[in-house]
Amino acid sequence: MDLIKAAMQDVVLGQDFLTWLWFRSEKNGWLFSMPGSGEFNVFLEQRISVRGGSGDNVEKAVVTGPHAEFTEAKLGLRNGKLVDKALVRIERDGATWMVLLASDDFSLSGLKTPKIETKLEEGDDPDAPFLEKMMLLEQCMEFVDELYRQFLEVRLSTNWLDELRVFRAWLAEQ
Amino acid sequence: MGILATSGSFTRYAVMEDLTGQLASELPERLAKFSFRDIDQTTDERSYGWVCLEDWLDSFWRTAPPEKAHYMTFSLRLDTRRIPPAVIKKHFLLAIKAEKEAMKETGKSFISKDRKEELKDQVMLKLRARFLPIPAVFDAVWNLRSNQVLLATTNSKIKTMFEEYFLLSFGLNLEQLTPYFMARRIVDQSRHAMLDDLEPSPFAAP
Repeated sequence: MDLIKAAMQDVVLGQDFLTWLWFRSEKNGWLFSMPGSGEFNVFLEQRISVRGGSGDNVEKAVVTGPHAEFTEAKLGLRNGKLVDKALVRIERDGATWMVLLASDDFSLSGLKTPKIETKLEEGDDPDAPFLEKMMLLEQCMEFVDELYRQFLEVRLSTNWLDELRVFRAWLAEQ
Repeated sequence: MGILATSGSFTRYAVMEDLTGQLASELPERLAKFSFRDIDQTTDERSYGWVCLEDWLDSFWRTAPPEKAHYMTFSLRLDTRRIPPAVIKKHFLLAIKAEKEAMKETGKSFISKDRKEELKDQVMLKLRARFLPIPAVFDAVWNLRSNQVLLATTNSKIKTMFEEYFLLSFGLNLEQLTPYFMARRIVDQSRHAMLDDLEPSPFAAP
């Protein structure tokens, strides 16, 4: 596939994924599970943006706020817009990751991992802070990959139309 | 943006070719070969190359080796001389004035297009000697087990530069893990055609 066509499919997959993630996290009570690694929580909060239209007619609504209900963003969904960026908070065993996920290229902006100890004591491995940070960064990517895997499983199955029906019922409740 | 910073922005890549044992052993050597060269004492407009992750002033990995467990670490340093357009304009006008002054003695007043270009080049060269390059550094970590690379930026120009320089340095292509390419790695090959034909879902309306 050429890169232009791939970029078009990036938008389709990325926006469907983030829109699904918003709804699915709420429906699941913000709980997801990863085979072999247990459960983790996923919250979409503080910042979400929705986008609709194409070319010169692109319209975007960015909704932010510490306790935002995202009413405007949900209104956007009802008008056919889809999520194109979302601030995602992931929690597991008291540890928290925050990342602004972009639908078009899955870039990870402002990724915050749980804090690491950067001060070294005598005899410590000088690479220890780096290795701990990498473990935390890769954990965050594993969470995102797992969520995306779960999305693809339903998106490419015959159950997708049922999932959309549940989505519409969720949207109507808001 | 440093990998160790509290918050950072990242782009993910997969290396498209397999990493052979031979190449893996050559990586430090290749990093050194394509390391950053300082241009403070030159008039070059731009320079870029690899530096030590722990110390971006170190192009020789004296501070720490690039290998850390199963990771290869390095940073892309880019130094650019940026001269404000207004400064260029001013000094070009001064050069034109000086040229006309000098031409008075010969009775001529017309400056050809070629001569103007020449004057502009001279002005740029003089100005570049007076402006220090502005450094920028972007950390990269290559997980040699998963053969994936994490680059600490989402800037598209830097991404392109990184991808090209990575290819030049190691002879390996990078594939950014965007939704489409990520999906191709996750789902079974039998469903790849489905990914190509997907259309946006009608979330709002049946």
